Amino acid sequence: MQNLHAGLNASTTLLLGIGNSARRDDGLGWAFLEAIQKEGRFAGELAYRYQLQVEDADVIRNYEKVIFVDALRRQVEGGFYWKPCLPVATFGFTTHAIDPESVVALCQELYGEAPEAYTLGIGGCAWGLEEGLSPEGIKNLELALRFFDEKIL
Amino acid sequence: MGKKIIIDPVTRVEGHGKVTIHLDESGHVEDAFFHIVEFRGFERFVQGHPYWEAPQLVQRLCGICPVSHHLAAAKAIDQLVGLEPEQLSPTATKLRRLLHYGQIFQSHALHFFYLASPDLLFGFDAPPERRNVVAVAHENKELARKGILMRKFGQEIIKAIAGKKIHGIAAVPGGVHKTFTPEERDYLLKDNETPSADTMIEWSREMVRFIKLYHDQHFQWLDHFARYPSGHLALVGPEGELELYHGRLRAIDAEGRVTLNDVPNNDYLKYFTEEVEKWSYMKFPYLKHLGRKRGWNRVGPLARLNVCNGIPTPLAHQEWEEFRRYTNGLPNNCTMHSHWARLIEMLHCAEMIKTLLLDPAILGDDLVREGTLRPEGIGIIEAPRGTLIHHYKVDEKGMITKCNLIVSTTHNNEPMNRAVRWVAQNVISDKPEITEGMLNQIEVAIRAYDPCLSCATHALGQMPLQVAILDHEGKVLNERCKTNKS
Repeated sequence: MQNLHAGLNASTTLLLGIGNSARRDDGLGWAFLEAIQKEGRFAGELAYRYQLQVEDADVIRNYEKVIFVDALRRQVEGGFYWKPCLPVATFGFTTHAIDPESVVALCQELYGEAPEAYTLGIGGCAWGLEEGLSPEGIKNLELALRFFDEKIL
Repeated sequence: MGKKIIIDPVTRVEGHGKVTIHLDESGHVEDAFFHIVEFRGFERFVQGHPYWEAPQLVQRLCGICPVSHHLAAAKAIDQLVGLEPEQLSPTATKLRRLLHYGQIFQSHALHFFYLASPDLLFGFDAPPERRNVVAVAHENKELARKGILMRKFGQEIIKAIAGKKIHGIAAVPGGVHKTFTPEERDYLLKDNETPSADTMIEWSREMVRFIKLYHDQHFQWLDHFARYPSGHLALVGPEGELELYHGRLRAIDAEGRVTLNDVPNNDYLKYFTEEVEKWSYMKFPYLKHLGRKRGWNRVGPLARLNVCNGIPTPLAHQEWEEFRRYTNGLPNNCTMHSHWARLIEMLHCAEMIKTLLLDPAILGDDLVREGTLRPEGIGIIEAPRGTLIHHYKVDEKGMITKCNLIVSTTHNNEPMNRAVRWVAQNVISDKPEITEGMLNQIEVAIRAYDPCLSCATHALGQMPLQVAILDHEGKVLNERCKTNKS
C-alpha cells in the first residue's frame, strides 16, 4: 500500500505521545509510542508528555515534522482520526491544557516557523485511576497502529 | 430586583472554581464568594498505603508543583524514619534544596510569563483571544522566549535530580536516591541549548527591572487594585531571613506586628486550625488565638517578602530592600505587587541555584541516613504559592493512618475571597452593564495568587471555574462560561 506521508518516517520527525498510563485510556498516546518503538521501523524520535507545556514550542522547532498522539474523550468513526495540526492560538481554562495547535502557533510566533504537524487522536472511553487500557481503547489503538503502519511507515 | 453574577470559568489558574456575586435590590454588591466546587479527598486516598509511597503518591496532586508536594512529604517521612532535617547528609539536603529552587524558579516563570503577563501587557479590556501566551509571543518575542528558556532551566534541574520533569523520584526516606554528576552540574553552569545559571541570574535581574519599570508606569492600579489589609505567613530562617526549604513559621498582621513568633514545624497544630464553609470544598485555615475573622493570612511571594528580615543572596536582597522601602518598611498589602515579589524570588532562586551548583557537596555519595521509626511526621516547606504542610501518622506496620495537607492555595482561600469581593464592590457594583473587562478583573485578582485549585481541593482532572450574578432571592441573573476556543 502506498504511503500517505512517506516523508514522515524520517529521523527529523518527532512522535510526541501525550497522556498518563495511570488513567486507563488516557495512556493511549503512550501505548501507541511503546508499540511503535517495539515494532522498530519508525526512524524518528519519540517523546512522552503528561501534558503539553509552553516549552514544547522550543522542542518541536528542532524537527521538520511532528506528530502529536493523544487520547480522545469522544468516539470517532474508525476509532481514531488523523489530521493536519494547524497553528491556532487557543486559550484554555488552565495551563495544564495547552493543546497541540497552540504549541505549533507559539513555535510559529517565537521562531518564525513551525514544523509540519499532524494530530493522531485515538478514541478512549475509560479514564479512572487504574493502569490498563479498556477493550475499546485497545481496539482503537490497533486500528491507529495499522493505519500508521500502512500509511506512514 | 437584586442580581447575581456568575463567572465561568476563570482562565489561567491551575484548576477551577466558581465565583458568585450577590447584589442587593438596588444593584449594589452585597457579597462575593470564590467557591471551589470540586472535591477530591486525597488525604483519604493515601491512607492504607505504606509511608514510603507518600512522596510519590502526593505528586499526583498536581502537574505544576509535584516537586513541592514530593519534598514536603519527604520531609515528613524523614521524621517517620527518625530523622530531623538537620540530620540528613549535606549532600541530600543540598540536592533537595537545588531541586526545590529549580521547582520554584520554573513555576514562577510559568506564572509570570504565561499566566500573568497577558494581563499586564494587554490590560483588562483586551479581548479574550489576546489574553494568552501566543499573543504575548506575538507582541513581545524576547520576553516570551526568555520565559520559555527560564522555565526550561528550572525543568532541567528537576530532570537532572529527579530523572523526569514531572513526577520523578528524588527524595527517599532519610535522603535522596542519587547524587549529581559533574556532567549534570557543568551542563547547568554553561550556556548551551539551555542557558546557564549566570544567564538566569542576569535575565532574572532584567525581569525585576521590567516589573519595576512597569510599576512606575502603572503604579496607580498596581498599588490599589484588590488591595486590602491582611496577615502574612511564611517560613523564616534562623536570622529571620527568607527561607524556602526549612525554617520556622512566622506570621505578622497588616501593620507588621508578629502574630506567630518563629514556631517550629512540629507545633503547627497548636496554632492552626481550619474551618469549612458550606459553599466551598476548600477549607479556611487560620491562627487559633486570633480566631477565624482575624487569624487568616496570605501566603506566597508577597507574604514571604513581608515576613522575612532579608534575603540571603546579595542581588535579591538589594531588590528586597527597595521593595520594602516602597511601603516604608511596613507590610505590603498590594495584591498586584505579588508579581513584583515573585520576580525577586526568581532572582533569589537563580542565585541559590548557582551557589549550590558550585558546592562540591552536591557530588557527594552520602545519600541516605537511618534513624528509629516514629509514628508521626510533619513536613513544611515554602512551595511556589506559599506555605505547604504535610502531616502523616502511621501504624506499627508503617501504613498511613492519617494524612493532613494544608496547601498554599488553601491558606490563600480567604485572601482570594477578599480580592474577589474588592473587585465586586469597586468595579462591578452599581454599573449598568457587566463587561468582559470587569469579569477579567476578577480573574486578575485571583491569578495574582497563582492559585492551584486542584491542589487545594486535592481534586482530580480539569477544574473549570464559573462566575454568576445572583439577585437577593438567589436567582441567577447572569452567567459567564468561557470555552476552550480560539
